[in-house]
Amino acid sequence: MGRSETGWLQRLVSLGDAGLNLTIIFKIIVFGLINALTLWSVTVLGAERQYPLIVALVAGIALFDYVYLSDRVYPVRFIFPGAFFMVLMVVFPIGYTIYVSFTNYGTGHILPKEMVIEQYTGRLALSKDLPTYKAQIFKNPAGDFAFLLTAATGEKLVAADSKASPLSQSHLKPADFDGDGVPEQLGHYTQESVLNVFSALTTLQNLTFEYEGKILKLRTPTEFGFYTPKYEYDATLDALRDLETGAVYFAKDGNFTSITGESLDIGYQTTVGWRNFKKLLTDRRYSAPFIQVFLWTFSFAFLSVIETLGLGLLVAVLLNDPTLKLRRLYRVLMVIPYAIPAFITCLVWRGLLNTEVGIINNAIILPLFGKAIPWFQDPFWAKVALLVVNLWLGFPYMMLICSGALQSIPGELYEASMVDGANGWYRFRRITLPLLLSQLTPLLISSFAFNFNNFNVIYLVTRGRPAIPGSITPTGATDILISYTYRMAFEGGAGGDYGLAAAVSLLIFIIVSIITFINFKSSRALEEVPQYE
Amino acid sequence: MKRYLLLILCLLCVLTISGAYASEEGKLLIWADDTRSPIIKEVAKDFTDKYQITVQVQELNFGDLRDQLGIAAPSGNGPDILIGAHDWLGQLVVNGLIEPIDLGGKEKDFAPVALSAFSWGKNLYGVPYALESIGLIYNKKLVRKAPETWENLVASGKKVADQSKRQWGFVLPQPDPYHTFPLMAAGGGYVFGENPDGTLNPLDIGLNNKGAVQGMQVLLDLVTDGIMPTGIDANTMATLFKEGKVAMIISGPWYFQDFRAAGLDFGFAAIPKIKGKPSRPFTGVQGFMISSFSKNKLLAQAFLNEFIVTEQAMYALYEKGDRPPAYLPALKKVKDKDILGIYDSASAGVPMPSIPEMASVWSAWTNALEVILNGTQQPQEALDVAVGQIKTAIEQAK
Repeated sequence: MGRSETGWLQRLVSLGDAGLNLTIIFKIIVFGLINALTLWSVTVLGAERQYPLIVALVAGIALFDYVYLSDRVYPVRFIFPGAFFMVLMVVFPIGYTIYVSFTNYGTGHILPKEMVIEQYTGRLALSKDLPTYKAQIFKNPAGDFAFLLTAATGEKLVAADSKASPLSQSHLKPADFDGDGVPEQLGHYTQESVLNVFSALTTLQNLTFEYEGKILKLRTPTEFGFYTPKYEYDATLDALRDLETGAVYFAKDGNFTSITGESLDIGYQTTVGWRNFKKLLTDRRYSAPFIQVFLWTFSFAFLSVIETLGLGLLVAVLLNDPTLKLRRLYRVLMVIPYAIPAFITCLVWRGLLNTEVGIINNAIILPLFGKAIPWFQDPFWAKVALLVVNLWLGFPYMMLICSGALQSIPGELYEASMVDGANGWYRFRRITLPLLLSQLTPLLISSFAFNFNNFNVIYLVTRGRPAIPGSITPTGATDILISYTYRMAFEGGAGGDYGLAAAVSLLIFIIVSIITFINFKSSRALEEVPQYE
Repeated sequence: MKRYLLLILCLLCVLTISGAYASEEGKLLIWADDTRSPIIKEVAKDFTDKYQITVQVQELNFGDLRDQLGIAAPSGNGPDILIGAHDWLGQLVVNGLIEPIDLGGKEKDFAPVALSAFSWGKNLYGVPYALESIGLIYNKKLVRKAPETWENLVASGKKVADQSKRQWGFVLPQPDPYHTFPLMAAGGGYVFGENPDGTLNPLDIGLNNKGAVQGMQVLLDLVTDGIMPTGIDANTMATLFKEGKVAMIISGPWYFQDFRAAGLDFGFAAIPKIKGKPSRPFTGVQGFMISSFSKNKLLAQAFLNEFIVTEQAMYALYEKGDRPPAYLPALKKVKDKDILGIYDSASAGVPMPSIPEMASVWSAWTNALEVILNGTQQPQEALDVAVGQIKTAIEQAK
């Protein structure tokens, strides 16, 4: 609250000075609103029977109330927002992914079982061998509907109050006032215009009328037909029965299957235990390309870190020289690759490296060497292309952090070493490098982990291609684990196997964690900064 | 102080936004992608004017429509109607997301291939409105008459191709199964064989039979003759064609507006016959589908049957969409020769298989095309590998 603000704010502040505790009022408003919101959400969720969500929400808000209202845990108030969002955005997605990896969630298994049963039992089929009726719609002041139905044979029926009966037997009689053959009234119901009928269709669509043991329903706004349910659910057998053919489909492992092996189109989501993991680890068709892809992923990440660090460090050291002219201009130019969105850069490089019409081949390689490099057709050159693009994208970041780290090295060290007769290279190797690396190690490790999962660069530049000829599942020579997973999960089998994708993500997470952990442990040696008195 | 007020405002906004776009009773919500939503918005306006029912059109990315439906619809946030391509049918049907549609006797007014594309088993799941397929697009300045046989194409191509000037006779996107299929189909290649009842048999794959190999050999001959470059993707191909560096390409109506805007004098013709047999491309059909989670199924059905399935609406959809209508009365009014050419190609084409197993076909097939065109493997070998990969993927998905 700035004292310089005028008007109502100043008046509010002066009220506070006069003794009215604004903090309390503010707290009341905020807490009131948040808890009211929670209560409202609970009623809405309760209507949709989302019980786990309700429990989570109530627990979260109860915790929030306790932390901010009680004085005993005052320090927690500062950690709470960060911790809350971390749980929401990091812990919860990880937990959910682990859950999904134990299910068969994917194409053909999206809906919960109850919804699938609801769909099948709710599907009414038009009985094609029974007559249809042209309908005229009437409405009474109370809002109920009645219908005058005329068959192609001239037979007339009256449908009202969930029952249909022949015109002669109905107590509702049509009245035609203007003699045009179209009745304006049916008993106490008056004719409805087609326009109004359209707005009421949502109510009308659910009306059913029983006639001679069969169900009559609206087929179009002007027509009625006989409908029969096609499927029936048997709770004891846990199966759907086809009422036409008599076939029984038992609920098993995500599909409704009959004893002859046929299954119904729509499947449901269910847990399948360790099936996804077993498939990945024991099925040769998946595990075989895995090793090759893993080795390339590791090399790609490792080489990317080394090359970006190399170039970044070189540029940072060069730009560190205070006597270099136009230093600021160079620095700005060097940061440009980092500023352009990686997405665009990758696509542009893809065009530049095109074998036949790309500018790199046509303007540089061909004149120099006489032969074009098959950038995306040859596995080796495709890998080189990826490393070049990643170098372009990554070195500004390394340059920036090296520049920062270089500033922290005390100049006296260099002066002392120069007095002792050390040359530039010796100074770099013995002073700059060790001190730099001890500061940069965590950043290098995180850069490694990032490039291990660098889906964007791989997918946009080479799409993982060129294909490895003869592999059991479609694999590319430049596929990394994550792009291989993507293809396996979303372009394999019946499309979209999220359960399998979640299982692979989990495995990749474990692999990356192990590598990171080993890195951290082994780089302890670099953490030992030499002591100076 | 101001920050806290802002926070309270945000919380209140959350309350109001949460219910914005969902299927509501008495209103229609349509999902369409960016090419179709402007068309449908105009057509829907007439419906609202006549029947006083709000029709809301929500634009989503074409690639997201299918997946978003799977997430939004079961939780009650989905649309009533969705506009999409027929090859989505497989995924949408097995996910229980769309309803069978009752055309009420108007079936005879539609192109048969369009209806069969939107059928699954015995039910019709969509109201088709447009057909599309690829064909030969040729630069009239470089090629006076569209070649009718493949030999003619090779001859025309040889006349135009000039390596030194970076000019080529013919390009198709590579590696791209969709554009390469017609050549493989000419000799008898097919993706999935048909069962006696008309459904597709995922265990019968014809991508490595004699006809398919013959098609690939035809393509390889073009490369060795210097008529076609390798490694060109669809966008690069379109750019080269616009610059007049390529005489003939295989592509579809999606580039027509682009080419016209560039002032190019081009023509569309059926892909030339190979050894006397027609090169049948994949036919794509676009249509309206009704979500199973819609609260207004009858209203949506009535909207489609009474309003969309009329000559005016179908013709309006054609005018904005640049694709031949699947509704025959509207087709009769079309005069554009290129569009009629697409209709002929499409009706003679093979509907793209819509069964979910199709997903495993694309990657394997694309990889095979790539190794063939790179010269890494022979056509028969590469296609055998692809078929093996597809069969593996389909079997383990069960």
